[in-house]
Amino acid sequence: MDPFYLIFGTLIPSLISLIAIPLLPEKNKSAGAFILVFLTALISSIPAIQVLCFHHIVEAEVFLNYPIGTVLLRIDPLSAWFILIINLTCLCGSFYGIGYMSSYKDQKNNITLHWIMYVILHTALIWVCMVQNGLAFLLVWEIMSISCLLLIIFEHQKSETLRAGLIYLVQMHMGVALLSVGFIWVYIAEGSFDFAAIGTYFSHNSPIILFLIFFIGFGFKAGFLPLHTWLPHAHPASPSHISGIMSGVIVKMGIYGILRIITYLDSEWLRIGIAMLILSLLTSFYGILNAAVHRDYKKMLAFCTIENIGIIGMGIGLGLIGKGTGNDYLFYLGFSAALLHTLNHSLYKALLFFTAGNIYQQTHTRNMEQLGGLIKVMPVTAIAFLCGSLAIGGLPPFNGFISEFLIYTGLLDGMKSPNVELNVLMILSIAVLAIVGGISMLTFTKSFGTIFLGSPRKSFDHPPKEVSVIMQIPIGIMIGIMLLIGIFPNYLLLIIQPVVQVFNSAYLPSPALAVLDPTLMMVGRISFLLIVLVALLYFIRSRRTKATEVIYGPTWGCAYIVPNPRMQYTGKSFTKTLAKMFSVFTDEKKEYRELQDTDVFPTTETHYISHYNEFFETRIIDPLDKRLLRLMNYFSFIHNGRTQMYILYGLLFILVFIAATFLNLI
Amino acid sequence: MTMGILIFLLILMVSCFFGGIVIRTKSVFAGRKGPGIFQPLKDEWRLFRKGSVYSNTSSFIFQIAPTVYFVSIILAITMIPLGNHAGLISFNGDFVFFAYLLTIGKFFNIISALDTGNSLEGMGASREALYSMLAEPAFFILMASFALLTGHTSFQGIFGSLHFYTYISYAVGFLAAFVFVIIALIENSRMPVDDPKTHLELTMVHEVMILDNSGFDLGLLLHASNLKFAMYGAIISNFFLTPGSELYYTIPIFILTQVLFAVLVGFIESFMARFRLNHNPQYIFTLTSVTLLIFLGVMLMLGKIA
Repeated sequence: MDPFYLIFGTLIPSLISLIAIPLLPEKNKSAGAFILVFLTALISSIPAIQVLCFHHIVEAEVFLNYPIGTVLLRIDPLSAWFILIINLTCLCGSFYGIGYMSSYKDQKNNITLHWIMYVILHTALIWVCMVQNGLAFLLVWEIMSISCLLLIIFEHQKSETLRAGLIYLVQMHMGVALLSVGFIWVYIAEGSFDFAAIGTYFSHNSPIILFLIFFIGFGFKAGFLPLHTWLPHAHPASPSHISGIMSGVIVKMGIYGILRIITYLDSEWLRIGIAMLILSLLTSFYGILNAAVHRDYKKMLAFCTIENIGIIGMGIGLGLIGKGTGNDYLFYLGFSAALLHTLNHSLYKALLFFTAGNIYQQTHTRNMEQLGGLIKVMPVTAIAFLCGSLAIGGLPPFNGFISEFLIYTGLLDGMKSPNVELNVLMILSIAVLAIVGGISMLTFTKSFGTIFLGSPRKSFDHPPKEVSVIMQIPIGIMIGIMLLIGIFPNYLLLIIQPVVQVFNSAYLPSPALAVLDPTLMMVGRISFLLIVLVALLYFIRSRRTKATEVIYGPTWGCAYIVPNPRMQYTGKSFTKTLAKMFSVFTDEKKEYRELQDTDVFPTTETHYISHYNEFFETRIIDPLDKRLLRLMNYFSFIHNGRTQMYILYGLLFILVFIAATFLNLI
Repeated sequence: MTMGILIFLLILMVSCFFGGIVIRTKSVFAGRKGPGIFQPLKDEWRLFRKGSVYSNTSSFIFQIAPTVYFVSIILAITMIPLGNHAGLISFNGDFVFFAYLLTIGKFFNIISALDTGNSLEGMGASREALYSMLAEPAFFILMASFALLTGHTSFQGIFGSLHFYTYISYAVGFLAAFVFVIIALIENSRMPVDDPKTHLELTMVHEVMILDNSGFDLGLLLHASNLKFAMYGAIISNFFLTPGSELYYTIPIFILTQVLFAVLVGFIESFMARFRLNHNPQYIFTLTSVTLLIFLGVMLMLGKIA
């Protein structure tokens, strides 16, 4: 079929959704949305797969009115890779949403809006990957941000949710402002909004400042270090399937933008690469450190997203360093690690958010300290969460290990460079990556242990039970894909090869593949061997145990005979030592009344509240905000509410203009 | 392949008497006669045949965790080379896989401790997770430095082409062996980080995590600990095996190093008191700076810094 029809065909399901979803009966709205998302995914996947497998690029052109001009729509391997990731995550998300939203059936209009926005968001995401024109890109980008906002504030009756939405909206628009500056900059210099103009600009100018503008603009979406503050607010506030696709694909659009700009870079790869690597290291360390201390499990996952963005950034940084130093192997390793990690993270993070949704649906609390023992009542959710935890910790046999392994290999290869600074940078990166891996284990053993294991810490009015099958299916599919990637990683490497070539068309991947392919095959095989050996030994063990006497009794309480569930180790204490070690970044705020000498037998009830503040938000952004507000206070006399004064301002304005024209100032 | 199996069997063999030597050394220093060196093996054998007690609180995680722990260590052992002979499994970057395999085992060990719902086991689990997190960078910096020195990224490549020729190289080799001894002690929760013989659950690290295990599972866990010792001993012995030498040199050196290592562990446990718990993180993290020294030494050897 003509690619033109396919590209524009993706718009049709969105248009249908505007009419069909409001008309559908309440209980079928989500299913209808799923079918529309499926259609969009189907139509957009055909050209994407064509591009990836048959290596021909799909293009179409549209002519719009004056300011935009001709818009080029193009699916190159990079777009195709992201489109496929988007489709996979959005499909799973909407399928999961059918089950998750069923408890909100009574909010008829709200649900209608929600599902329409979901379909539109999916289409907008695909279009972001296709549009090759600055202004049109901003337009699609904005549609994506706004539809996502409406999805986030689904529970708009809660003020906390609205606040999160507001934070998201403001930060996204700061990003958009910078992106606009970037595109206008290129327009002024080159006279075109086309993306290719960025390439021409870079070819005869120093790219540093323009790249920085684009990087910060896209960095807001991706959540690189000082720009990440919206993530821990928006993720917990939104419904879980939205958190899943937000973390899985929407933040990845920031990564896509950065990668897209990188394809046009013509010089300064090394410097940008080093800066990117360092920033990414800080991002991932800071992200995982905060993830370890938080007790709201969705917030924990949001911080973990920041960590993973850091890991993706490390891959990009390594790839750029490889390109800058002419090390083809490093170039290949870096970019393929970044691209693979994008896919991997979108899978397991969505999976984790979905399981978090299961927990929230059953218990209505996001505080893990109130949970416990859920593995007995929700075994499927528990196993899914465990698989997600292993994958996110980069442990074999799951997919997370593959991309981390590629990054380690890249760091080890980058170390061979004759440049001493690079040697030191690489070895420190290895150390940081190892620490991040360690803290990640701490975070997820804590979360899994506190939520699912032990005995319940609180009894619920509605005892939690396993979620419906419809919510389990997407989770199962995702675990399956994760295992497949973990066991057959080398096939994915072949698929990704044209995508890496986008960053350097002269590059031939065969020598790197010849080294990497057997290694990854080996990794996959040993991962498989691990599963087989565990199954085998477990079988032997079960046979053996069955032949002997098995007694069930209470946990050994270390000679204490009346233990109670509230005496179990809490998640907070689990990571308390870590939080104390890095107390600069994990600022703990406690509220309690100190006991006085007279309080030998306290009569009044005492409360103890403790929570962790986010360093950047409370120490940097909030104080700056306050100063700005105080400064603005001095001008508050201007808006005094008197109409006469406002008319006077208008008159003054006109007078100033007239005077300025007379004096030839404007 | 045959060599790989031989190395694997050698390490398995060492694991059978390693714990025994440690206990024997300790008893000799304490002026006692002590049990035979195969006593731990006999204990494990007894455990394998015994029945089990499970807590009502625990779930299948508790039952599968010792298996995963054991298998992860067995698989890690298959990657250990002997001088320039590769282990059963060897590929570029296998030491990364090695570290992550051990992490899987630890992950399951930790969640199985949390599965019992016992507050003291949670405490031990939290400490174990923290300590292994702190020890992780030391291992990676160390191996990466040697990867830089030798230009290889697999265990076999690194140890096969490692040879000592200058003063700095001896210093580096010595430091590396030292770091591995400490890592082995930390990973096995021995003195001075953790005292396996302590009687107070509140101050235990590893021992408190396996309080609820019994029977076959406990046997697996105990033997896994011995295997881990033998595995680290094998890595340490690789620093003393000069490449190219014949098997009739290599194998005695290997066994001798292991025995010396076991005696050293017993010696340390007899003459050192454990640290206060809040000093442990500093102590463990110091290792990382020692490995940075090794990195510096490697840079000197390569002539990158004068």
